[in-house]
Amino acid sequence: MIWIVGSVLFWLVSWWANLRMARLPKSRLTSVAVPTLFGLALLVLWQGIVRGAGINPVLLPAPTDIAVKFASSMPILWADFYQTFVKGALSGYVIGCGAAFLTAVLVDRSPFLQAGLLPVGNFVAALPIIGMAPILVMWFGFDWQSKAAVVVVMVFFPMLVNTVEGLHASSAMQRDLMRTYAASYSQGLRRLRLPAAMPFVFNGLKISTTLALIGAIVAEFFGSPIKGMGFRISTEVGRLALDMVWAEIAVAALAGSAFYGCVAMIEKIVTFWHPSQRRG
Amino acid sequence: MKKLITAAVAGALALGASMAQAADNITLQLKWVTQAQFAGYYVAKDKGFYKAENLNVTIKPGGPDVAPAQVIAGGGADVIIDWMPSALASREKGLDLVNIAQPFKRSGMMLTCRKDAGIKTPADFKGKTLGVWFYGNEYPFLSWMSKLGLKTNGGPDGVTVLKQGFNVDPILQGQAACVSTMTYNEYWQIIDAGLKPSDLVVFKYEDQGVATLEDGLYVLGKNLKDPKFVDKMVRFVRASMKGWKWAEAHPDAAAMIVLDNDATGAQTEKHQKRMMREIAKLTAGSNGALDPADYERTVKSLMSGGSDPVITKKPVGAWTHMITDKALK
Repeated sequence: MIWIVGSVLFWLVSWWANLRMARLPKSRLTSVAVPTLFGLALLVLWQGIVRGAGINPVLLPAPTDIAVKFASSMPILWADFYQTFVKGALSGYVIGCGAAFLTAVLVDRSPFLQAGLLPVGNFVAALPIIGMAPILVMWFGFDWQSKAAVVVVMVFFPMLVNTVEGLHASSAMQRDLMRTYAASYSQGLRRLRLPAAMPFVFNGLKISTTLALIGAIVAEFFGSPIKGMGFRISTEVGRLALDMVWAEIAVAALAGSAFYGCVAMIEKIVTFWHPSQRRG
Repeated sequence: MKKLITAAVAGALALGASMAQAADNITLQLKWVTQAQFAGYYVAKDKGFYKAENLNVTIKPGGPDVAPAQVIAGGGADVIIDWMPSALASREKGLDLVNIAQPFKRSGMMLTCRKDAGIKTPADFKGKTLGVWFYGNEYPFLSWMSKLGLKTNGGPDGVTVLKQGFNVDPILQGQAACVSTMTYNEYWQIIDAGLKPSDLVVFKYEDQGVATLEDGLYVLGKNLKDPKFVDKMVRFVRASMKGWKWAEAHPDAAAMIVLDNDATGAQTEKHQKRMMREIAKLTAGSNGALDPADYERTVKSLMSGGSDPVITKKPVGAWTHMITDKALK
């Protein structure tokens, strides 16, 4: 009882504190403190309710149990992370986005491909991953290659569409200017159209980071060697070791956020000229 | 006016009658999809044995990603079919599962290997890839590998383990040298797919001395304190064992009953008839009561896992004869 009362009290107090801080002028301190306090309040509430209401750890473990499991399973978590994220998601991401980028440049050159390839790409993107994953596991085997293949299928179309859009982003006036400078097609591409496409390209890259991680984890549900985040999540659920499942979820969340953050940081550097990067 | 009175009297009688006959509801969670492995329960339902005991039983099929222990923990079933290793491991994790009946006397689990992978004895497993089911089915395998002293994380001195799905593709496609099979199911899937028995070498867990008790009925211990629940379970076990003995005596008819109840339409008559005959070999000799000697053997096998035993402490209160004593009087 005291657990529940204490945690609800903490939550209400931190809510009030957050409201006060949100009204102050925006500074470095407040922009870090407010979300941190909010997250902390949620964790405290979770802990209080699980302990106070005596919820069976087989259904929902408390954050402290999860933290203990996380700390004690570092080697397993690292091995799973390496298998799923580095070998599966990252390689699929690089291959998929690279292929999509090159295809977009080719598509831009040829109106025939534009009319034909985009609808096919649309169709492939609509295929459910739950249906594709077992087929790709059968084709490419149980190891990271099939996971990378699933990621390629998932990220190809969003990246393709974004890059094609981006290549159309330069305005007619700018393209005319290039013509007056007697720029060839490849010069125009390199100097004007690709840099102008970068905001769109990075949009695609950011979307693809989340899709890549989801694809790699879900693909592992359908057959994997006995390591990998998806494998660990599904089998530890079967063993009723929910604290391990949550530890893996935490790793996935951290990895996904870090991946997205990295791409966003590179975007800031490359597209410094774009209005969306203005600090205001 | 007369019609109104007649209707009211009829309604009252019907209400009284239905209240007197209100059957008790039971939800049973199966360990796998609808197949002859669970014929006893489907027979008991279709032949009216449950109805005769005033029970309304809902049978929920399982599958590759359904852990019955989790279903009962979440309140999705009153009684589950589970294998003893999974039940004891869950018990150690804090889930109070208690065995109330054991229809299966023998284990049907085996490892089927391709002869052309160079496997003749368990000593040849080193350095090979073996397919294993998870979701509670991995414990007998892990126990066996521990007994053989083989590490399961790959390398030339250990074995590489593959998480098997619903089918036997890994062995057909050469991705694994061996796959886990049941005598009544996956082994025949391999034969149906074209491999001949002479291409395969089979290791039965019973022969290797690592067999554990399989399909048993488990409930949550706290429910056994409720006399109404105990009475429901006594009737359920009595009717279920009647169903099992009928299925053993009439395997083909039992297979047809299972097929009628298969909502997925994925099972075939040939496969189910074959499965029922194999299952009858496993249930023969059991009247439903758990033999404590079998239980001790299973516990010993699970605890002898060397550095990675499935359970670390001898379980206490993991089984009871209170239901079968009353049911089989």
